[in-house]
Amino acid sequence: MRRTQTKAFASLICSIILLIFEIWAYVETTGFRVHKRAFVQPATFPQIMICGMAIFTVILFIQSFIKVTRGMKDGDPENEPAASVNPFTNRGVAAAFFVIILCVIYTYLFDKLGYVLVSACISVIIMWLIGKRDLKIIIPVSILVPLIMWFIFYKLLTVNIPMGMLQPLRDLVDKL
Amino acid sequence: MNWSLLFESYANVFTSFQVIFMTLLGALGGILLGAVPGMTATMGVALLIPFAFGMDLIPSIGLLLGIYCGGMYGGSISAILIHAPGTPSAAATLLDGYPMCQKGQAGRALSIAMFSSFCGGVLGALVMTFLSPLVAQMAMKFTSAEMLMLAFFGLSVIVSISGESISKGLISAFFGLLLATVGQDPTYGAKRFVFGFRPLLSGFSFIPTLIGLFAIAEVIAGVERIINGEEKQQKSEEKITNVLPDLKTIGQIWPNIISGGIIGTMIGAIPGAGGDIAVFVSYGFNKSSSKHPELWGTGIPNGVAATESANNGCSGGAMIPLLSLGVPGDAVTAVLLGAFIMKGIQPGPMMYVNELPTVYRVFAALMLANIAMLLVGCAGVRFFAKIVSVEKKMLYPIILVVSLLGAFSINKNIFDVGVCVLFGVIGYLMNKFEFPLSPILLALILGPMCEQNFVRFVDVNNGNFWEILNRPIAVGFFLVSVATILYSIYNQKKINKREAENRKKTFSE
Repeated sequence: MRRTQTKAFASLICSIILLIFEIWAYVETTGFRVHKRAFVQPATFPQIMICGMAIFTVILFIQSFIKVTRGMKDGDPENEPAASVNPFTNRGVAAAFFVIILCVIYTYLFDKLGYVLVSACISVIIMWLIGKRDLKIIIPVSILVPLIMWFIFYKLLTVNIPMGMLQPLRDLVDKL
Repeated sequence: MNWSLLFESYANVFTSFQVIFMTLLGALGGILLGAVPGMTATMGVALLIPFAFGMDLIPSIGLLLGIYCGGMYGGSISAILIHAPGTPSAAATLLDGYPMCQKGQAGRALSIAMFSSFCGGVLGALVMTFLSPLVAQMAMKFTSAEMLMLAFFGLSVIVSISGESISKGLISAFFGLLLATVGQDPTYGAKRFVFGFRPLLSGFSFIPTLIGLFAIAEVIAGVERIINGEEKQQKSEEKITNVLPDLKTIGQIWPNIISGGIIGTMIGAIPGAGGDIAVFVSYGFNKSSSKHPELWGTGIPNGVAATESANNGCSGGAMIPLLSLGVPGDAVTAVLLGAFIMKGIQPGPMMYVNELPTVYRVFAALMLANIAMLLVGCAGVRFFAKIVSVEKKMLYPIILVVSLLGAFSINKNIFDVGVCVLFGVIGYLMNKFEFPLSPILLALILGPMCEQNFVRFVDVNNGNFWEILNRPIAVGFFLVSVATILYSIYNQKKINKREAENRKKTFSE
């Protein structure tokens, strides 16, 4: 196995990304408002946390760098293959990324289409995606679960959930 | 202590049909509410306050305490079965509860959680009955210095929940502490990492973050596993002959139950510190003192017992400052304070003088609430354990839509759904690269407490932080924290060494 496919190499890349994030976050804290009379500035605590994070990121970087460049002993857990995040070579990762995209769309449509409709749609799509093909089960489950959850939250817990196009259903329940 | 009055009060409560019925109802409602990610005991208690208004004091308090105790246990059900803690207090339960479920021991994990919750709750109720004025006095000695060091003590547990790589665990923890600073600074109101986006002013809500990191990340990872053919469908092959743990298991877990219950009660008694902190402290303490710390996190009953006894111990602990001083110990007791005032009773030191029978009846009601939780829990174990046998291809989408609804319901805010999805992605990626998630959670709980008390202490002492050395309780906490960190590092190194040897052996074979 190539060194670039090991967990140690993945940790090395992670530590570089984290270091970039920490530098960005630290620069961001320098723009926080300063209070002249304050002993502890609003930026102090985040800066301490960023420094703490940076110290351990550097440690992780050094540990991984040594392992990648000098090689690892047999049985070293860092010598095992790293998890794939490439959606083009791994179908599972591609499906996971697709679910993430679906979740983002779900968030966008939650207010517009309403919880029940958008939840039913996402359930059907995910069930189909992961190999459940029995429509006699998929459709009733996808509709009933959000509907029952909506009813519990709306009627018993008095949480007002967006219904979008199904607003008449809420009016009907209110009337009943 | 007026023993005859105490016995009379217990007898009154335990023989009143109305009190028993309302407490059982509360426990059932609490367990069901707690099991839904995003629904907390606080929400349940707040919702039922109007219903309690029309009842007598003790049945209404029984109903509310039933929800409180039931909710504490209910949170563990979803943590064990679907890797999504129903309440923040169950966040540490999934560390061992979920692996137990994956081993096909869901029913056993649930029964241990229920039994430990009951024992922790009873321990808390006993401490409340016999030691409440004493514990309340001690708790009120906690100023910003002690609270800061208590938070530091809580954070010291991070090393023991970091897993193989301590560096990765600590990076996660500092990342969590950094996330906790997003929004308005608690002292001066300065905007931090807001980028002109108004919903970020109040920071990331804790529960949507929790749901995202665990439930949504698990759904995304689950979909990947199913597509790659790595997901095994769990069948409910486990025969639950007894809804309570067997004697052998009880013999194995009782030290964890006792220590968890005591830790939970003590932390619960400190205003501002609740079950979410207690569970991690208890887990860290019990893991450090275990003969086999390497087994913790792999699905052992001790881990479930240590956390579940701590969060229910908190219920008794949190009632102590409420009744003795009129200061609520956590969010639920703050709502309960409202219920007392609504009934014309002002909790506080004078309550022990003017309303002693009522105080004793509240003690009895808490004990009854724990028994009710056990009875309802016993009835439900078999049913809950069946959830794992639902086909994963159907279960994951259901978890997703229920979890996202839970995230929305906290503030009725679509932004929280987005936060939940964002942390789902972060959790998924962190899991992939073996960064532990629990330290983020602990940091999100303790970060605001740490910062607020640090700023307050330094301001009060005109910038002289070293004044903290004159606070013996704070220094004590600091020393215990340092000892915990060092011991956890030593333990982790030992575990890593042993595992490396095992791997080497397996590799050479």
